[in-house]
Amino acid sequence: MRDVYDVVIVGAGHNGLTLGAYLARSGLEVLVCERRHEEGGGLCTEELTLPGFLHNVHANYHTFVDMAPPVSDLDVRGHGAEYVRPEVQMASVFTDGTALVVHSDLDKTCASIARFSEEDAETFRRLHAEAHGFIDLLLGALMYQPPMSVKELTKALLTFGAEDRSEFLSVKLRVETINRFLDQHFHHPKVKAHLAFHGAICGYTNDVKGLAIGFPLLAGKIDNWHLCVGGSHRLAHALWRDLAQHGGVMVTDADVDHIVVEGGRAVGVRLADGSEITARQAVVSTVSVEQTFLEFLDATTVGEELTHKVKTEIHHKDWTLFSVHLAMDRLPEYAAAEFDPDVNRAWVVNLGYGSPEELNTDWATIRKGGLPDPHPNAAVNSLYDPTDAPEGCATGLLRQFAPFALADGGEGAWDDIGPHYGRMCVEAWRKFAPNLTDDAFLASAVFTPHDIVRKLPNMIRGDWMMGEISLDNMLDQRPLPELGQYRTPVERLYMAGSTQHPHGFITFGPAYNALAVIAEDLGIDPWWRKV
Amino acid sequence: MPVIYTVDWYTAVVEAINAGVAGLRGVPQGTWTCRIEIAGDGVSPYVTDGEERHFLVRIEEGRCAWYREVLRDEEDTVLDYRFRGPAEVFDEIAAGAVDPVEAALRGTVKIRGDMRFLMRQAELVKALLEAYAQGVETVWPLGAPPYAGGGASDLAAAGRPTAAARGSADA
Repeated sequence: MRDVYDVVIVGAGHNGLTLGAYLARSGLEVLVCERRHEEGGGLCTEELTLPGFLHNVHANYHTFVDMAPPVSDLDVRGHGAEYVRPEVQMASVFTDGTALVVHSDLDKTCASIARFSEEDAETFRRLHAEAHGFIDLLLGALMYQPPMSVKELTKALLTFGAEDRSEFLSVKLRVETINRFLDQHFHHPKVKAHLAFHGAICGYTNDVKGLAIGFPLLAGKIDNWHLCVGGSHRLAHALWRDLAQHGGVMVTDADVDHIVVEGGRAVGVRLADGSEITARQAVVSTVSVEQTFLEFLDATTVGEELTHKVKTEIHHKDWTLFSVHLAMDRLPEYAAAEFDPDVNRAWVVNLGYGSPEELNTDWATIRKGGLPDPHPNAAVNSLYDPTDAPEGCATGLLRQFAPFALADGGEGAWDDIGPHYGRMCVEAWRKFAPNLTDDAFLASAVFTPHDIVRKLPNMIRGDWMMGEISLDNMLDQRPLPELGQYRTPVERLYMAGSTQHPHGFITFGPAYNALAVIAEDLGIDPWWRKV
Repeated sequence: MPVIYTVDWYTAVVEAINAGVAGLRGVPQGTWTCRIEIAGDGVSPYVTDGEERHFLVRIEEGRCAWYREVLRDEEDTVLDYRFRGPAEVFDEIAAGAVDPVEAALRGTVKIRGDMRFLMRQAELVKALLEAYAQGVETVWPLGAPPYAGGGASDLAAAGRPTAAARGSADA
């Protein structure tokens, strides 16, 4: 490894690799430093249970495929990332044996909703159509551009008269919860429960004020969920291939210890082994704000005020995910298949939330550090990716909304309670899929909130969105106003990870938007802007 | 009154736009080039099914400097925005029968370019669109939109504007 590059990027998650690939394609000498033994960050696929069973340890759902510019700009498919958009995307199964199913085919989705409420089905059709109409505008204006302020956004919506022209867009969304939005537009509790669940699984908690602003976009991509064949890590590998093909370098086991600053300007990094790498033009961090400003830099460099703000004003999600990975010898057969046979083909299934109020109750429990009675969601990737398990077998993934720190024992208590809670989650699944008897499970592995931070320390408190999803931590306020445009108080030091707008999830947005800012500062011709 | 998609009409559009934005404050300084791509959809009699008509519009210092028709494969201009949609919709916008903002919101007119700038300059954009949509009294020799049941059947016989009539209007 050389010791001088144009740009040094800290972290080889999808944002670090994406940014590195763009910059390498722009002719810069790029180094991406990764602490772990492999690239990917949350794009992590491992044989957690048994050989031949590929489990996505963290990122499983890719909902911005063909919406995010890097997917085509960097030719990730050409580099081996293959995507499947399941025909039956998602379902909710309810305790009374009914089921609501979301298909890739809108008519089928509306037909499923109509079994609960014809009026809700028509409303959903209008919402989906409207959201699809403006999704390009929303993505172009809000997701894949450095962020505007809420004030600017509100002014624009008012000037264009969006409220008069839209049934669902309103400036009031910025002060409303998703629950309120659902109550205003939908009637049946199960329909609302499914839509609230979909928001939650995307990180948008249904009872948090202001998050209704994101709901139309969520509705517009409710049927754009994609599965990365062979495991999510394939995307990371594809991004690395693009980086490497264009001369960029990714080095693993490169634990950045310090960002080197001279004369107020970032000029390189120092690794834990003491070696230093010079960055001629820029250093970019894609890891957490806390790591970047409290560990890699000191207060004399970034200023006491910013250091204090990072310590006290960075907020993380107040819930995280508890996962159970399963090696199975059969696919689930839901009792609700008698009501709707398609539920057996649903990639992701909400197990039992029948109203938004039930979700609200669990959020309240979780916020107090309590463990709710499990209502996990179950994903069976093998339904659409038979390569992820040996022939005749399947992988299963149960995800349960959970607190990071338990009221009784903190995060460390997860090590004791995890296996037991995992069994409770499996029991909860079996109530809806009775064929999943004990002998169906060949092996299992729990991945607790505490495990998240041990494996991926940039996800502070198990925060897989790398920053609270709330109105005051959105757009140009994320993660702090001083850092909201990807620049930092240190010249030529940039932030480009999921701490930044838009947020975590496989959006590519933080890297793509930081790229625009870095290109402007470094005088790079933005070849990727295709008008 | 000018006939749609003729030099006289382009000139009138430029004048209408400049009249529309004349009173605006804080107009951004700079130059923007926009391409409008109108795709024949079998409904508009002015752009036949399968045909496309492309236009370039230059905005300089908040005023429309020129509006000209270009060849479909003429792509040598550096663009800031591209607007693309079916001819029926563009005709109806020009006739004031369809709200251009709504057409964009509904996705019937696709926009590419810096959306953040469009949002930040909402007042200017709105004024430009309103001038385009309502600022010119237009002659529609083959029938005026909104169309009911599709376009005219014999475009050539009806004397639709031809390539020879295409030109530009400079402010």
